[in-house]
Amino acid sequence: MCVLCGQDFVAQVHWTDRHLEDRARAAAPGSDPVAPQGDRRRDRAHRVVLTNEILRHYGLKLDDWGGSKYVLRDRKGRSEIVQDLGSLWPAAERLVGRTLDPLEPALRETLVGEPAFAPADGG
Amino acid sequence: MADGRATRPVTVVTGFLGSGKTTLLGRVLSEPSMSNTAVLVNEFGEVGLDHHLLRRVDERAVLLGNGCVCCTTREDLTEALLELLDLDQRGEIPRLDRVVVETTGLADPAPILHTIFADPVLQHHFSVDLVLTTVDAVNGNLHLDRNLESVKQIAAADKVIVTKTDAAEPDSVRGLLSRLGAINPSARVFEAAFGETDVDELFRPGGAGSHAVPAPAAGEPHDVGETHSVSLTFDGSVDWTAFGIWLSMLLHARGEDVLRVKGFLDVGEMGPVVVNGVQHTIHPPEHLDRWPDEDHRSRIVFITKGIRPEELLGSLEAFRGVFGARPLPLGAGQGVPSS
Repeated sequence: MCVLCGQDFVAQVHWTDRHLEDRARAAAPGSDPVAPQGDRRRDRAHRVVLTNEILRHYGLKLDDWGGSKYVLRDRKGRSEIVQDLGSLWPAAERLVGRTLDPLEPALRETLVGEPAFAPADGG
Repeated sequence: MADGRATRPVTVVTGFLGSGKTTLLGRVLSEPSMSNTAVLVNEFGEVGLDHHLLRRVDERAVLLGNGCVCCTTREDLTEALLELLDLDQRGEIPRLDRVVVETTGLADPAPILHTIFADPVLQHHFSVDLVLTTVDAVNGNLHLDRNLESVKQIAAADKVIVTKTDAAEPDSVRGLLSRLGAINPSARVFEAAFGETDVDELFRPGGAGSHAVPAPAAGEPHDVGETHSVSLTFDGSVDWTAFGIWLSMLLHARGEDVLRVKGFLDVGEMGPVVVNGVQHTIHPPEHLDRWPDEDHRSRIVFITKGIRPEELLGSLEAFRGVFGARPLPLGAGQGVPSS
């Protein structure tokens, strides 16, 4: 924990963040040092949009917090700060009171407006 | 990495009690090409292994707060690997080419992977390139019937070695081979009579490292009791961020039931992303510069326990708007264009 900003020291990069780190490391010497930062911000913004499409089913909302963390909120105003997708789902589970399961048929109805388990038509 | 080279490959050798792990290791270690290989074993069995870089580790697992078995850290392994790294970096042993970790027969291989991926030091110096699982042709079917651990070991394998084929009936060997293919269509299966096998072939990280995903056997989703496997593709490029959201959510909710996920994902870049996971543990996904073969479609295999293939496909189908592509089961009569 850093005493100045109250943020945890992150020793473990979650696998879903790995490509950003790999890309930043692979950048050629002398290339624009700001470019990976831009990539990272775009990626985070994109992730927030996509994750919110899922989370709305559970009445939750995710926001980027200063480009380093995310804040997860429910409609009662409770919130949790999360580092990555690895800590998002346990936090969401605490706020909602049950496990968020992507296999849950009701989630399908929210996402595509179709009844659960319509047989895939194969294309 | 700090000393200017890529990570040292770690090969995990797993397999049920008496399935011939040690015999195989003894055979493998006698090859000159394996002389700079360190071996970590749990017990010195009756078959003596003679090797200068042999270390014994006592399985000491530290269970993390959530109590999930596959997310335990093997402290003994961490210590042994750190020690090897230290010796290697100080030049006290010849340059370390590979580490082989032999598990106990009952061990679930997932904690070994987790230990290496999660340790702040080890993750930069070691990578798991292969999981080899031995199955005994005589008792293999029995183990698979009675022990879920045995099924998990097959699911976690990149290559399966069927041992003692000389001592079993040809019919039962054939039956076992087809069963293994049904449990884990993505694994390559080798036969080893009398412990004899082609070492180079076995340890060659097939083609593109652990990423070699053989074409899944054409066919419908396979069901072996509670264990199901399904191979699928997508009708277009998949948004990698979206796939990460779906898979991390699935692994949080049902990780213990997802025995394996392995494959290439077309994310609209020059090459695919290699996805490889065992229960809650995901290998660091690798973005390849190019496809390893002509087939540029996504190919993913899921091996699950208690999750039916139609549930998985239904969930992926529900996420199609987020992914930007629809899932298609790979197999006969599914209209997947063959290239």
